[in-house]
Amino acid sequence: MYISLNWLKDYVKIPSKIKPEDIATELTNHTVEVEGLVNSAAQFNNVVVGKVLEVSKHPNADRLRLTVVDVKKKKLNIVCGAPNVAAGQLVAVAMIGAVLPNGLEIKESLIRGEKSEGMICAEDELGLGKNHEGIMVLRDSAKIGESFAKYLKADDIILEIDNKSLSNRPDLLNHYGLARELAAIFSLALKPYEKMLDRKWKFLSDKENKLEVKVSALDACPRYMAVAVSNIEVKESPAWLKERLVAANQRPINNIVDLTNYVMFDCGQPMHAFDAAKIKKIVVRRADKGETIETLDEKERVLSSDDLVITDGHQAVAIAGVMGGHNSEINAETTGLVLESANFLAGSVRKTSQKLGLRTEASVRFEKALDPALTEQAMFRFLTLLKEICPKMEIVSALIDIDNTDKNKLTVDLDLDWLKNKIGQEIPREEVINILEKLGFTIEDQKSAVLKVAVPSWRATKDVSSKEDVAEEVLRLYGYNNIESRLPVFTMDLPEVNEERKIERKIKNILSLKNSLNEAYNYSFVGEDQLKKMNIDFFNYLKLANPLSGIQNLLRQSLAPGLASNIKANQFKSERFGFFEIGSAFFKNPGNIRKDETEGNFLPYQEKRLGLAVTGEEDNFGQLKSIIDSLFKNIFNQHTEAEFSIIDGTPGWADKYAIAKVLVFGQEIGIVGSLSQEVINNMNLKRGAALAELNFNKLVELVLGQPSFHFAEAPKYPPVMRDVAFVVENKILYNDLRREMSRFNPLIRSVELFDVYIGNKLEGGKKSLAFHLSYQSEDRTLTAGEVDKIQTDLVAHLAQKFEVRLRDF
Amino acid sequence: MKNKLNELREEFLAQLAQVQNNEHLRDLELKFLSRKGRLSEAMSGLKDLSGELRKEAGELANNIKNELQGKFNDMSSTLNSFVAKNNEADVTLPGASLPQGHLNPITLVQNELEDIFSSLGFMILDGPELESDYYNFTALNVPADHPARDMQDTFYVDYKNKDGQYDLLMRTQTSPVQIRAMQKYGAPLKALIPGRCFRNESTDARHEHTFYQVEGIVIGKDINFANLKSFLEIVGQKLFGPNTKLRMRPKFFPFVEPGNNGEYTCFLCQGQGCRVCKNTGWLEIVGAGLIHPDVLRAGGIDPEIYSGLAFGFGLNRLAMLKYNINDVRLFNSGDLKFLEQF
Repeated sequence: MYISLNWLKDYVKIPSKIKPEDIATELTNHTVEVEGLVNSAAQFNNVVVGKVLEVSKHPNADRLRLTVVDVKKKKLNIVCGAPNVAAGQLVAVAMIGAVLPNGLEIKESLIRGEKSEGMICAEDELGLGKNHEGIMVLRDSAKIGESFAKYLKADDIILEIDNKSLSNRPDLLNHYGLARELAAIFSLALKPYEKMLDRKWKFLSDKENKLEVKVSALDACPRYMAVAVSNIEVKESPAWLKERLVAANQRPINNIVDLTNYVMFDCGQPMHAFDAAKIKKIVVRRADKGETIETLDEKERVLSSDDLVITDGHQAVAIAGVMGGHNSEINAETTGLVLESANFLAGSVRKTSQKLGLRTEASVRFEKALDPALTEQAMFRFLTLLKEICPKMEIVSALIDIDNTDKNKLTVDLDLDWLKNKIGQEIPREEVINILEKLGFTIEDQKSAVLKVAVPSWRATKDVSSKEDVAEEVLRLYGYNNIESRLPVFTMDLPEVNEERKIERKIKNILSLKNSLNEAYNYSFVGEDQLKKMNIDFFNYLKLANPLSGIQNLLRQSLAPGLASNIKANQFKSERFGFFEIGSAFFKNPGNIRKDETEGNFLPYQEKRLGLAVTGEEDNFGQLKSIIDSLFKNIFNQHTEAEFSIIDGTPGWADKYAIAKVLVFGQEIGIVGSLSQEVINNMNLKRGAALAELNFNKLVELVLGQPSFHFAEAPKYPPVMRDVAFVVENKILYNDLRREMSRFNPLIRSVELFDVYIGNKLEGGKKSLAFHLSYQSEDRTLTAGEVDKIQTDLVAHLAQKFEVRLRDF
Repeated sequence: MKNKLNELREEFLAQLAQVQNNEHLRDLELKFLSRKGRLSEAMSGLKDLSGELRKEAGELANNIKNELQGKFNDMSSTLNSFVAKNNEADVTLPGASLPQGHLNPITLVQNELEDIFSSLGFMILDGPELESDYYNFTALNVPADHPARDMQDTFYVDYKNKDGQYDLLMRTQTSPVQIRAMQKYGAPLKALIPGRCFRNESTDARHEHTFYQVEGIVIGKDINFANLKSFLEIVGQKLFGPNTKLRMRPKFFPFVEPGNNGEYTCFLCQGQGCRVCKNTGWLEIVGAGLIHPDVLRAGGIDPEIYSGLAFGFGLNRLAMLKYNINDVRLFNSGDLKFLEQF
């Protein structure tokens, strides 16, 4: 929002020692953020009034003209594209070095081979409107060579206010409201708004009145005021009015529309003027389902029964609080007006405006809950100014005021002891009262311990309703920076430790620092195309109702697609690399986290996952298994082993010959596998990759469930080592063979695979597995003979069970 | 016996002198020094000797064995030394480069904050990323039609409740965890809540639809504004150094009353004004306030007995400031060229 300092000065006298910078700083410190200060003259540096002396054709372009423009000090050659340029015009000339409000920097240039030493400006280029149909032609009184800022009388300072910081302050979206804040901050006198109003009007009596107004949706329209006037002349606004609107960044249209906007930027109340010739009656009601209206922007809007409309008894002539209808719009022929100054319910306006995607200056104000008392002030302000602009105007109706608002003043009890505790330091009673009164609050009994603070109507709609709200008012004007900071005193207590977070951090460190993986943070959203390429079925995926793009419209159920994309995105940057990610997956079925206040309502199940990916290794699948094993050894203990077993269903992305379940302590915890050739092709991957995905929640549970680790003293008696290599059918699994070996005899301490061979020294369908066996007893030194005997029996046992034979090469 | 051992020794040393490469050396080892080598074989004859002779021969055998093994080892290291392989070694050559892994900078900054607040006795809490409308808005004093919802464009999940409304969403802030924490732990409470949040906005160098926040809450008897201020000062000093100053100004957040913004003196220019702080000398970092009584009530805490303070900030912004990162999209890009720098 743009606030003009000159406009503010209508209401507060600002002493010259208070600089605009001070105003910006103090407003920011106490009220709302001022994002910028713009000197309205500074933006026209190097823009001067010039006179067009000659206009001739451009030799190389039909649409361009060559002009010579007199700017007093010299005569400039300027190439101009405007159709309306003519000799004798007084124009705004942006000379070399000017930077226009729209950001355009003027440099000497060649335009189609002709030198141009500046630019003749159109309104929009000067930030004065949206008109770009031709150059702006100045009044005859303009002096050649004078600065354009001087011509415009641009001596204003514009404050740019951050609208977001105003979302709770409907009273500040206008000049009077900010003037009130300034007056309070700097302890200046504020001119009462009443002084701006002429109240001596001859309204028709109810008997004489012919303007019929009915509000049939009182719940959404607490107050509706209307007046009919005649003898109006619709024309261009006077200069002062246009200047003010331009300062507020509004495009002047005509005197009536401009005046409704002026009143809105002045006191905050949106108004609407209907052409009296087009409506004889006003009925405020809910729209019929499917009812349509063409709004002022010439778009047809389809309404529903939630929407509030203004009608002429038959058809809608405006969407209440949002935008007027094209059918009742005023135009050059209009001579009579029906003026509306109404209060519409915030929620209703907001809903309609959101649904239609139509946010207007009016809807933005209404949806913040406006003070119903404003409707009356705005109506009189409008009439007062209308009389100035159209002196012949006449009132031709009663002052209609259908008012169902609550007139009781909202009062809040403010206990000064409570306030002291809340702030942490005492603000003297007189100071508290002074601050509140400056802001328009009233306090009857100023001596009592608990102050009865009456909230002014413009703050009572939503913003201030509790003692905390009043405390904020006192505190912000007193100054946050004037409070002395003080640390709270706590009794000692040990906070509950977040074990999951500790384990998570440990895992991240192991995977990055030890296993050289990179930590990815992938989006929680995935796209259908991405999943299709990975052969992943997504019929059961949760969808976003309003995704940013179709590329990411589903909630991920696996970290695999993200990691596969990471592999792809980096395949030309590096050859051998890996990623990991810890993140959530989202499912349709309910989980165990409460959704709301209703017992038994749960949020969708969300599972934290640990995803891993490697590429560029000789054996990606094996490498990833090693990483998982290393991880387990580090988060459980050094004796823990990752186990891999055959999986029942292959996930779509995996090679069915290289996919396995991951187990630890006999419990399933995830999967590991290689990307299938099909997926590699679909994704245009340069190299293969292996992915793994583990249930992180379960991993944490298992870690926490482990008994604490104890050091084991090295056995006193030496181990006897034997190596043995078997040849077996491919279908015989390492897991089974090894399990059988481990439990064959208690003296077998460890069984460690050290070689796998498949090749032409073996008949087809067979593999060779070689193991280190360690035999050890706790109470004696084993003899060679004893060990040989066990091993012979073991080989015989395995030969019988798995048809193994000893490798003989 | 003794002669035999001495002969063996001579023979070994002569052959060792001829060795050219590791293969020769390996052969020599097998032939003389291995378990079934000639030295072992010779020594196995010791058991046939008796008394003094056996002792003497045994001693000699051991000496020879040690000597030969030592000479063998020397030769082995000579053969394998750098100089042997490279006639003129460059000692400045690097070792083989080992692969390195990297943590995401968000993780680094988050860890740092968790450590700071753990040391102040805060619990570190998590909550679900897919939230309900109730916890994300309603319980935080943002009712259905409140304009505060404008500030947060929300991703809703395409799943309607009984009333035909979307009431599941991707959380827009970590604050729903405030309510969950109050419900679970009651008061007093000190908690830090880091996590992933979502806003439905188009991405560019300064905007991301997926980002990371951290917020802290302190609830107790008589927690007041002076305490809040003091906490924010500590946060600034921990994050940006002991001389960091705090400046506060009002800012509306529905879940606090009063609410404020906190700016810290720019750590790069020490408040002198630079490019990063846009020449103001201040960096806007933190949003904070005293917890709104309605929010305490929603968490099951009586605002007449307890009060609380809350503060929050963006991890992305902190990481961007700390590491001078100019594009917020890099955090979620999975780009190795980015990650490799951390």
